[in-house]
Amino acid sequence: MNQTLNSHRRSEGFRHNKLVQAWLVLLLAIIFGSALAAVQVNLSDVIAANKLNESLEQVPELVWGAAKAAELVENKVRIDIEPGILTVDTDGKKTVYHLFRVSMDRTLAGWVIRAGGQGYADKIELLIGLSPDAGKISGLFVLEQKETPGLGNKIIFSQWRDQYIGKDTQTPLTVTTGRSNAPDTIDAVTGATISSKSVTDIVNLTTRAVNGRLASVEYVKQ
Amino acid sequence: MEYLFDIFLISISAALINNFVLYYFVGICPFIGVSRQVSMAVGMGSAVTAVMTFAVFLSWTITTLILTPGAPLSAWVAGWFMSPEKARTIDLTIMTYIVYIFSIASAVQFVEMYVRRFYPPLYKSFGVFLPLITTNCAILFACLTVMSNVVGKANPAEAWDLGRSLALGFFGGVGFTIAIVIMAGIREELDLCDVPKPFQGAAITLIVGGILAMAFMGFNGVDTGIRSALGGL
Amino acid sequence: MNELPTPFERFVQGILPENPVYRQLLGLCPTLAVTNGLKPALTMAVAVGAVLLCANIMISLIRNLLKPHLRIVVFTLTIATFVTIVDRVLAAYMYQMSKTLGPYIPLIIVNCIIICRCEVCASRQGVVTAAADAVGQASGFALALTGIAAVRELLGTGMLAGFQVLPEAWPAWVIMVLPPGAFLTFGLLLALVNYISDHRSRKNA
Repeated sequence: MNQTLNSHRRSEGFRHNKLVQAWLVLLLAIIFGSALAAVQVNLSDVIAANKLNESLEQVPELVWGAAKAAELVENKVRIDIEPGILTVDTDGKKTVYHLFRVSMDRTLAGWVIRAGGQGYADKIELLIGLSPDAGKISGLFVLEQKETPGLGNKIIFSQWRDQYIGKDTQTPLTVTTGRSNAPDTIDAVTGATISSKSVTDIVNLTTRAVNGRLASVEYVKQ
Repeated sequence: MEYLFDIFLISISAALINNFVLYYFVGICPFIGVSRQVSMAVGMGSAVTAVMTFAVFLSWTITTLILTPGAPLSAWVAGWFMSPEKARTIDLTIMTYIVYIFSIASAVQFVEMYVRRFYPPLYKSFGVFLPLITTNCAILFACLTVMSNVVGKANPAEAWDLGRSLALGFFGGVGFTIAIVIMAGIREELDLCDVPKPFQGAAITLIVGGILAMAFMGFNGVDTGIRSALGGL
Repeated sequence: MNELPTPFERFVQGILPENPVYRQLLGLCPTLAVTNGLKPALTMAVAVGAVLLCANIMISLIRNLLKPHLRIVVFTLTIATFVTIVDRVLAAYMYQMSKTLGPYIPLIIVNCIIICRCEVCASRQGVVTAAADAVGQASGFALALTGIAAVRELLGTGMLAGFQVLPEAWPAWVIMVLPPGAFLTFGLLLALVNYISDHRSRKNA
């Protein structure tokens, strides 16, 4: 008699235990957890590849220019792109650059460097193409920007970006608002001097940082 | 020095330039719902600020210690089962959203308990708003912003530390308070106006919000200005 | 207990009479944030619809097992999981779009529309009704979003979904694609909807 009462009480206690009440939540957590794991296993590589391809797609154009790049792609010329990392230590401040070493027929054709900085509205991410000796800029592409639509976001158009092509990296570029034919100047986008200056500053900083250091790039093993 | 400057810019940007409500449109529901009186707006704003700071603290800690690839805690646990190199590649970021939403819920609980226990008068002024905050998108947005600045940085040194994250959380909340209090002040005056019937309620609030957003656009570029004035990039 | 609406009623209600955006003022954050173009607005509407459908069906299936005090936890867990899945699928197959939408995809978790539909409909009615309700509400949401996005993109850039519609000479009203334009457009459209529904109800009376 006493025993049955005890067991009854125990089963009542069991039923009121918090963990038992939450069995549905725990079961759902396990089901959802495995669903998420499945998603992760199947999609994480695709997402990582998307991220890399976004930069890789631009590489030929940044090294050879639009016309030649299209020709190379059409003729299916083999281009080797090696991703690498360059750590630059300036005044005790370490900066890491992700870059690509681009070569064709085993000869170095150029470099593409990913660099970022503050723009007018938010961060700007650029891909900067450099000649093999890093002496000249061979192309510029804006990967990410949130500048003002209609004004600052004109930095993404090739009409504006193309004026960087062929500029010398030894002297810093300056931004002008009027048309100027001086060799180291960039015409600002009308009404968006700050966006133009931000891009130019990132380019200047990056070319100065990597100058003479491209030999010490660590390549990612594939 | 440079660090303080960085914190200052993050704060100014979160509170004014990229105001959570008027630039990113998060926290619109309370912005329209709880902005009838200035006193209510202040209460809501303080509640959001408190919870946002605490939620950002929780999510930063969890993200850096557990979720991000190569996080120390998860790598240590995984190290029992696999080689150390493999353990360092463990990527738990897929759990982020679930973890964040529950850490927000617990932050709300925690702030509620703390304030009720130690500051009863304060609890009276904003306690009623606390349960509403769990589904306030501004808080989750602050956590997500911190995440995007911690996970997947090309340069590991660029990942935000706790100080920067807390600055974003606190001043994001301050920005929300500024927006909602200004709105409440305008709405108190609006009650005295003869608003056309279709515009009454949410519609006129939204249009006033649009004008406020235009005013806040004036802050755009202030951070770049300060930056170049002080000579940093 | 009054009778609960049938699947068809639920579906129709979601589109206009109980439109989540215009009538219930729910889910305003994406409504304002991603409507500067038709494409992101449509993608967002589809993403919200997918999460809403999955969550509604899931909750409806387990509605008899739900304990009242654990209800909200289960809702949140379900929604957060489906949002994560949608987020990853988007990042894998529509990478540029997922970058454009950015944090607004994870913010679907705290979108009041979904938790409200789980509470009002899915936790009380069967799977078919819940699914119909989700489709109805999602279409209502899509309708609202595309309406606002069309106005903003057309006036702000002269284009619709990336195609030039207005003549090139159109002086693009940049303000429309900037944050203030979102508030103004939605405020004016909301007033218009209020006016029309007011007008109609007066006519019927």
